[in-house]
Amino acid sequence: MGLVYNLKSYSMQMKKTQNGEWHWFKGGVIVSLLAMATYVVFQALSYKSYPFGITASFGSIATVFQVPFASLAENPVIQKYSNSPAALISITMLFSVALGGFAAAKINNNYAPEIIPAVWKKYHGPALWKRYLTVIVGGFFLGWGSVLASGCTTGNILQGWAHLSLGSLVAGASFFVTGIIVAKILYPKAGGQKS
Amino acid sequence: MILKIIIGLIVGFIFGYTLQRTGITKYPRVMGLLLLKDFKILKFMLTAVTFSMIGFYILDGIGIITLNPKSLDLGKLVGGLLFGVGMGLLGYCPGTMLSRIGEGKKDAWVGLAGMVLGILFFAINISFFKTHFKAKSVSGDISEALGIHPWIIVPVAAILFISIIYFAHKKVDDFKQNF
Repeated sequence: MGLVYNLKSYSMQMKKTQNGEWHWFKGGVIVSLLAMATYVVFQALSYKSYPFGITASFGSIATVFQVPFASLAENPVIQKYSNSPAALISITMLFSVALGGFAAAKINNNYAPEIIPAVWKKYHGPALWKRYLTVIVGGFFLGWGSVLASGCTTGNILQGWAHLSLGSLVAGASFFVTGIIVAKILYPKAGGQKS
Repeated sequence: MILKIIIGLIVGFIFGYTLQRTGITKYPRVMGLLLLKDFKILKFMLTAVTFSMIGFYILDGIGIITLNPKSLDLGKLVGGLLFGVGMGLLGYCPGTMLSRIGEGKKDAWVGLAGMVLGILFFAINISFFKTHFKAKSVSGDISEALGIHPWIIVPVAAILFISIIYFAHKKVDDFKQNF
């Protein structure tokens, strides 16, 4: 009797989870299959053992700045991004990840454009400059940090933790140290009231 | 060349689609994780990590792939801390930023501009960062560092990850209103 009840409540919980979103388990399994398949394919095509990452995609945008600033063409970081055998894959992914997000939102009828996140508006007001200033400063730290740590959440956690890399374990854990502090400063009063 | 574009298209599309569909791109979810009130993203991440960890080590064991662990240097720690500041301010990371652009969230475009500036800042000052943050490094994965066989480390890590998922799932309800 108890078991039947448990199963029932579990399946109800699953349904509740699927209300508009995939279950975290499903998403996790798909991403892990993607990570493994990509790794095997990249290695078979001998792009070295290049784990898929998103930082490199942003790096390829930075290479565009060689055109107005000729001195950057000599820069080792810019050179690394433009000469990488996987450079074309990284550039393509810039568009295809966005396309994936667009398709997912459109197909499932939750395409909801917004200028400022609703939660931000509620706590920090609708002022555009305030959010955009935070975002550009945040983006700067995100870019600087991810190249210094040689990888973002995709490269250092989804791939690096799966390889149990020493560097990635340190990098991934430190993402959360400052992330938690900043979140607490931005939302000191956010509570966990039941809705 | 066409092959690279096709690979990029398929991998990126599935990745972006999954992130949006699982709700990882949502601002309240990322902030909820950083406020330790919503662990859906953590559970998603650790599920992916646990499966791919076992997969990678099996594929490496039977010789299909060679593992390429990232080495440890000071840049990993300092860069990770800087990245965390950015993630807290933005409410998303680089992968979800792209997916959010597709979703029509305008502020992700501003984040992208900031991110490129950050990379350029690093590139321009590369000699400074190289000498101060990348000079000394320890390579390898945990099993190499500790001198323990991977087939002992991997199950231990898997059990650790699964227990974190289990406790996060038991203790915190992802459906409550945090904000």
